[in-house]
Amino acid sequence: MRTTVTRTIRAAAAGAIAASVLAACSSSGSTGNSSPAADSKAGPCGTTAKTTLTVGLFGTFGYKENGLYTAFQKACPNITIKEDDVEQSADYWTKLKTHLASGTGLDDVQGIEIGFVADVVANHSKQFVNFAKLSDSATLKSSFYDWKWQQASSADGTDTVGLGTDAGPEAICYRPDLLAKAGLPADPATLATKWKTWEDFIAFGKQYQAAAGKQAGSHFVDSAASIFSTAVYQGTEAYADAQGKADVANSDGVKTAWKYATDAATAGITAKLQQFSDPWNKAFSSGSFAALACPTWMMGYIQGQAGPAGSGHWNIAPVLPGGATNWGGSWLGVPTASKHQAAAVAFVKWATNATQQVTMWTAKAQGGHWPSNKLAAEQPGVRSATSAYFSNAPVGTLFGSIAASMKIPPIGLYDTPIQNAFTTELTNVETKGTKADSAFSSALDQIKQITG
Amino acid sequence: MTATVRETASAVVVAPATNPATRSNRRRSSVGALRPSWVTYLLVSIVTLVSVLPLYYTIVMASHTNAEMAAKVPPLLPNGSLFTNLKAALKLAPLNQGLVNSVLVSSAVTVATVAFCTLGGFAFAKLRFRGSRALLAFCIATMMVPTQMGIIPLYMLMARLGLAGHLQSVILPTLVTAFGIFFMRQYLTGAIPDELIEAAYVDGAGSFRVFRSIVLPAARPAMAVLAMLTFLTTWNDFFWPIIALSSQNPTVQVSFQSLATGYAPQQSVIMAGTLYGVLPVLIVFTLLGKHIVGGIMQGAVKG
Amino acid sequence: MAITAARPAPVRRRRLPGQRAAYAYIAPFFLVFGAFSVYPWLDTAWVSLHDVSLSTYDQQTWVGLGNYRNLFTNEFFYNALRNTITIGIISTVPQLCLALGIAHLLNHSLRGRTFFRVALLMPYATSLAAATVIFVELFGYDYGLINWLVHDLAHLPRIDWQGNKWASQIAVSTIVTWRWTGYNALIYLAAMQTIDTSLYEAAVLDGSSRWQQFRYVTLPGLRPTILFTIVVSTIGASQLFGEPLLFDPTHQPNGGSSHQYQTLGLLMYQQGWAYDHLGLASATAWTMFVLILLAVGINSWLARRRERRDGRTSPLAVTPGASA
Repeated sequence: MRTTVTRTIRAAAAGAIAASVLAACSSSGSTGNSSPAADSKAGPCGTTAKTTLTVGLFGTFGYKENGLYTAFQKACPNITIKEDDVEQSADYWTKLKTHLASGTGLDDVQGIEIGFVADVVANHSKQFVNFAKLSDSATLKSSFYDWKWQQASSADGTDTVGLGTDAGPEAICYRPDLLAKAGLPADPATLATKWKTWEDFIAFGKQYQAAAGKQAGSHFVDSAASIFSTAVYQGTEAYADAQGKADVANSDGVKTAWKYATDAATAGITAKLQQFSDPWNKAFSSGSFAALACPTWMMGYIQGQAGPAGSGHWNIAPVLPGGATNWGGSWLGVPTASKHQAAAVAFVKWATNATQQVTMWTAKAQGGHWPSNKLAAEQPGVRSATSAYFSNAPVGTLFGSIAASMKIPPIGLYDTPIQNAFTTELTNVETKGTKADSAFSSALDQIKQITG
Repeated sequence: MTATVRETASAVVVAPATNPATRSNRRRSSVGALRPSWVTYLLVSIVTLVSVLPLYYTIVMASHTNAEMAAKVPPLLPNGSLFTNLKAALKLAPLNQGLVNSVLVSSAVTVATVAFCTLGGFAFAKLRFRGSRALLAFCIATMMVPTQMGIIPLYMLMARLGLAGHLQSVILPTLVTAFGIFFMRQYLTGAIPDELIEAAYVDGAGSFRVFRSIVLPAARPAMAVLAMLTFLTTWNDFFWPIIALSSQNPTVQVSFQSLATGYAPQQSVIMAGTLYGVLPVLIVFTLLGKHIVGGIMQGAVKG
Repeated sequence: MAITAARPAPVRRRRLPGQRAAYAYIAPFFLVFGAFSVYPWLDTAWVSLHDVSLSTYDQQTWVGLGNYRNLFTNEFFYNALRNTITIGIISTVPQLCLALGIAHLLNHSLRGRTFFRVALLMPYATSLAAATVIFVELFGYDYGLINWLVHDLAHLPRIDWQGNKWASQIAVSTIVTWRWTGYNALIYLAAMQTIDTSLYEAAVLDGSSRWQQFRYVTLPGLRPTILFTIVVSTIGASQLFGEPLLFDPTHQPNGGSSHQYQTLGLLMYQQGWAYDHLGLASATAWTMFVLILLAVGINSWLARRRERRDGRTSPLAVTPGASA
């Protein structure tokens, strides 16, 4: 059984659910007057009629597993929730786009991932309930991290397509046993001082690689791609300019991230694995690498791949070389085509409010869903969480302080395919010895195909 | 792997024939014409092994966690967690509903395809009518259109017809396929001599009567093969159903979508679910497989 | 003697009565095709002349032949075209030859033949994802079984089955061959059932070897079916995309880190679904259509020419001694 958070917190959180359902419901019920169609006129559940809501998600939410639907149905007995899943977010997005284009087949609630939220904002905001125009929008807005609210909003802030679910503040996950074998410091506090910049991190990696005692065949970090995908979001720009237009040529993020990633690759400190490939998955148990960039959700991923046998073999350093940033996260939106808009909006507000986000972070089956609701992130239950699997790392305070200081560059329509183009070319640098410059120009060729 | 099979396959054809007289005697007594030697059994067993191995490995993967599969010496045998994982899969995903829907969809498509394609194939193979060549060419040409691009307009169409989300939306477009028509046409061209059909007409039989009493019996092996292939293709169809249907009313491939939830989907549970979805196919095949036996044709051909 | 199945098929079919019914027999196909394929088909042609993305599907900008121009000056297109042809050849040829051999084996009166016949279709029934997991492992660089044979047993340098162009194309072709051989074998097997067994008996009495029986009795009888499988496999090979998609370790439609095994089908998938350039993808689709039309045309022309040539020798089919 996977347990990331201590038992007491779980119990406290469970008790809090019922209380705050009532609190959240009564507050939204008392305010609504200048409301668009979606605002709740029929009480906290949006409706008193018997209603079935369909919630369209891709495979990374964990609502069913963490009992959120059951809890909601307890609060609103007239509403039944049915989840509609697609495993891969790419397939989900294709399906969602097709349904949006035809205006049919949409679920009452639709999950929106960071990979396509910019597209939804740019091209489909008219088809989603505008959360910026709800009567309680000011209250809602103030409860989320500013950047989280902004990523799902138009530049002028008048349109907001959804409310944030989780976020992915990043640190470094590592194997203390492998570092110790190589005769290197392995306690998180020391490492936090040694991994402040990517230069330091790569230098440390070289030490690891040169160590006589290191586990045979192992490398310091999983891939050049994991350095790149992290460092690129530490720039003031990643793949898009402030208007959300794809812009790779002038991006400081791309430039420095490419340098660090190729430096790591040519220094031979990477395990040359492609992230999310099968060999990479297996390497979590075989110990082919000692460290990787680690958004909160990666904690769940590692536990899933390494299994119970890996418990205690991992730890998390309270640092991200180059400064705090975010990787991943999602939103929930309500298509205006929904026949149960009010109920759907009520559910979205409920599922993303502080209480539920605390539950998602502290629940038993949790997969590292760090709250995007900053009220939730500030709660003691979230902050005091520790992870037994990760050598009792104080994950609450650790990720909490990173989340509070994150730098978030603007996101664009093509972030996902552009990032794939770069990371694919990094594989060539790692495995085929392609020169960094020619790999970069190949990536630019590919990006020309993407941006058209 | 490929090379071994091919080399040995050619080895058998040049195997020396024994005394022809005794061989042909023995052959007459068996259903098919050819009596197998031990080499035949050996080769067929190798082919079977290569064919079945990945399915077997799916069973192994379904009963071990990813961490276990990553061990230095990966496990080669399934174990009891198969059933635990199967239970977990059934809890996560509406697999049973998916199975029922898939049986409905695949059966409807298979029955319709086999019936319509046998009729159409017969027409193209044995009846002469104005424009037959052009129509056949057109029919074959439709196979060459890459299907993925048609998916968006097809969805728009289904949405306008009010069929999106309903099983009809995955049944209707494949009720009869160009592949099936072409397949039956080629088979029947060789399988039934024109003289036989002419003779039936001379005897005063109508065209449907000819179809029923001559073509149908002769077409049985091909119909069985077409049925197996169509059933399987429909069963495994994924790209269109995932757009057209939802988890509320899924085919089995769509229901697999719910197997990987949470940030750390369990490979073993996914594999267990996948396995569960193949079982009905095995049953259907075992039933159909009997129909592709030798000898059915002899009477018809000899007329 | 019985009417021979080996009689060359293209002998002019005589006019048979009752042919008005023929239109009724082929009507279902044209009705279904008309209802559910014509519109998407034409729509694809229309879209190929526009700049379209699924996100803004209602705003289509006319670009004329711009997408085609883009495609024909695109290095990725020519790379994919080359890959499609080479992978097509190294997967289709062995696949059909193997299928013929296997069908021939299964045409023997084997014990448990139902089992063997069902087993043949297992590769097509096994989920492609599960199968590729195994093939990816077999072709693994460090620990794969095949490199173990190459390196540890034969003492040759390890082969990079992912990164090396030819090696990766062979690996993808192996998956394709594995998956579709049984499928084609079953089709051949059904056609073999139509061959009159007395032909074999006669051949045996004439003292012909097994090879000669296969060459002069089985093959001529299968001619229409062989033509069928060649056409279908050519079409299938040109649209190939599932196997190379899953062979890529990250399941991206790149076809390997340097597009070394990206096929046209995969390129179209990438343009349309990963990059959301539906106009360009539709242009690729129509270009593929024309290319396949050409390929199949050439193929069947060659086959027909062969058939005509063999047709002259086929009267010798039952007296192989003459040709030996």
